[in-house]
Amino acid sequence: MRLFAVGLSHRTAPVDLRECVDFARGGLDQALSALASRGVGREVVVLSTCNRAEIYAVGETDATADGVGRFFSEYHNVPHARVAEHLYLRRGPEAARHLFRVAAGLDSLVVGEPQILGQVKAAYSTASDLHYTGTLTNRLFHSAFAAGKRVRAETGLGAGAVSVSYAAISLARKIFGHLKGRGVLIVGAGEMAKLTGVHLQAQEVNEIAIVSRTLAAAEQLARRLGGRAVPWAGLSEALADADIVITATAATEPVLTRAMIEEVMRPRRGRPLFIIDIALPRDVEAEVGSLDQVFLYNIDDLQTIVQENLARRSGELVRAEAIVEEEVLRFTSWMQSRDVVPTVVALRRRFEAIRQGELARLEPKMTGLTPDARARVDEITRLIVEKLLLTPTEQLKALSDEATVVAYADALNKLFSLAREQERGRPDLAATADPGDTDATP
Amino acid sequence: MHLLPLLLYAAAAAAYAAHFARRDPRTGRLATATLGAGVLAHTFVIGMQTMAAGDLPLVGTSGAISAFVWLLGLAYLYIELTSDERALGAPVAALLALLEIIPALDPAVQPRPPLLQSPLFTIHILSVLFGYASFALAFVLGVTYVLLFKEIKAKQLGFFYARLPSLQILDVMNGRAVTVGWICLTLGVVVGGVWAAQVQSSPDPRAQAMSIADPKILVAVVSWALYAFAVVARRTAGWSGRRAAYLSTVGFLIILLNFVPVGLFLTKSHNF
Repeated sequence: MRLFAVGLSHRTAPVDLRECVDFARGGLDQALSALASRGVGREVVVLSTCNRAEIYAVGETDATADGVGRFFSEYHNVPHARVAEHLYLRRGPEAARHLFRVAAGLDSLVVGEPQILGQVKAAYSTASDLHYTGTLTNRLFHSAFAAGKRVRAETGLGAGAVSVSYAAISLARKIFGHLKGRGVLIVGAGEMAKLTGVHLQAQEVNEIAIVSRTLAAAEQLARRLGGRAVPWAGLSEALADADIVITATAATEPVLTRAMIEEVMRPRRGRPLFIIDIALPRDVEAEVGSLDQVFLYNIDDLQTIVQENLARRSGELVRAEAIVEEEVLRFTSWMQSRDVVPTVVALRRRFEAIRQGELARLEPKMTGLTPDARARVDEITRLIVEKLLLTPTEQLKALSDEATVVAYADALNKLFSLAREQERGRPDLAATADPGDTDATP
Repeated sequence: MHLLPLLLYAAAAAAYAAHFARRDPRTGRLATATLGAGVLAHTFVIGMQTMAAGDLPLVGTSGAISAFVWLLGLAYLYIELTSDERALGAPVAALLALLEIIPALDPAVQPRPPLLQSPLFTIHILSVLFGYASFALAFVLGVTYVLLFKEIKAKQLGFFYARLPSLQILDVMNGRAVTVGWICLTLGVVVGGVWAAQVQSSPDPRAQAMSIADPKILVAVVSWALYAFAVVARRTAGWSGRRAAYLSTVGFLIILLNFVPVGLFLTKSHNF
């Protein structure tokens, strides 16, 4: 049995094609049953997120991979040529490595993002609930979860915000704890103000107040965010109610001065004020940051944080890849120990063929024997073969590490010319031996 | 006898420090388990001493510090288990291990003199010590608050930023610890006053010295006033955050002062 991973992702396919082959849209269960009805693969799992569509399948030969590849175009009614050039195919250990890297967030658009592990889990449990998984895929996906969890727990790959909006929100969380019920004031009604407002809204903050020099613009953004527009004259009162202030006006002069904020802070009795100035040029005087209980961050500060986090993440990449390699090794050695079975079968088949051949060759000399005696000859030869094979079979099955299995299998192949019997057997080893790029277009 | 809890507290401090630096959840659980074992072992030690002496071992520097360490360990474990936050484990466990050295070096249980054979005395000591344990937690919370505050204010998000809970949580927990500590200290001082009035006629010179002029009592009242101010100012004047953190730092330094130099050398009423 061989393992295949066929799919496309943000690394290989443009977004319009990814949208076309989205399996989640019609329901994963539909896709799984369509795939099963074609008889492609014994075990199948379909993983479909907005950045990737992948099918993990277990089959006997590359025909399985071809079938899965064609399924991508036929299921979605897309010309095969259009899909084929973006598809990648990975076999055996390479397929496992690919899935482990995906589960660990190493193959994501934003490296280390945590959602993907949950998506992989959901894909597996859908397939598993509908009985499309088996021994190999069960083990494969549980190993992938383990790899993903280890990378998350043992490295800082997912740590730190990597976008300006998220950096602002995680800072706000460090100051205020959860943001539920906090007062937010947005000064300005431009695109940047809107973007940050949308992110804050997801944190269940209290009603967002929007102040703009033109009330109409404020009202428009207020409708968009479900907040309330405040006329420019009401800025001071709005500041008094706010915990988090975002300034994003196009003004060339500072909108919030030290004197203004000092005035606002006095009645707040030590309640902290977090001001995020994402305007260029600045909306807030730099001296505001030196006031007690005022935290002032501008767009450059936030970008510095993002850069530092990105640098830190790339430093963690090496450790994460090492963890993935460990898990791949563990999985492949398990797979190899299962892989010894075809060698055993081939060996037995070879011995049986020799026995049958010799019996056939001696047939003319045994014509004088009674049926009873002939049965005994058959029995004795069978027992000899059994006895000869007993110890080697036990020894082979007891092997566990990858290298020894490969060495033993190679030796047996050579010694007994098993290659022909093996054709249905264990080509995963051939895939491992094949160096370099395993990507192919089925 | 105090050696086992001491070793466990020290091991817990090391494990909490490793957890804080590396953020490995398994080390964190190990640290909690070790501290729990330490407090349990300490409970047995105190239990055996109580059986042997017939009284809770609260008398003498060793006894008082041992009881204080035990109460602080319990209070910390309670906070950790209810908040699922291990960031304070390292400083608290280090404090426990440091203080536990004193009873470990001088484990002899001093018998209670007849003057101190009163349930009021036991209540007085226990509630004052529990108050001090709360103030110790407030102190640690205050210091971590200031460290985190400075990092955020200076825009240098680094070590503490990645590891400590939010300023808000640190501040709220500090407020709770100060309030609980202040209530306990109030109870302790009141019960102590009632008991002192009862034993006023005793010939013991210490009973005669029980007055506000005694350094130990004076410093205790000063710290009580400071924490009373902290409790009231937080509620009415918005003295939260950094101001509250500074207050709980100063308050705990006064208490340490009262524990060691004043308690050992200066007091005439509390020298047992």
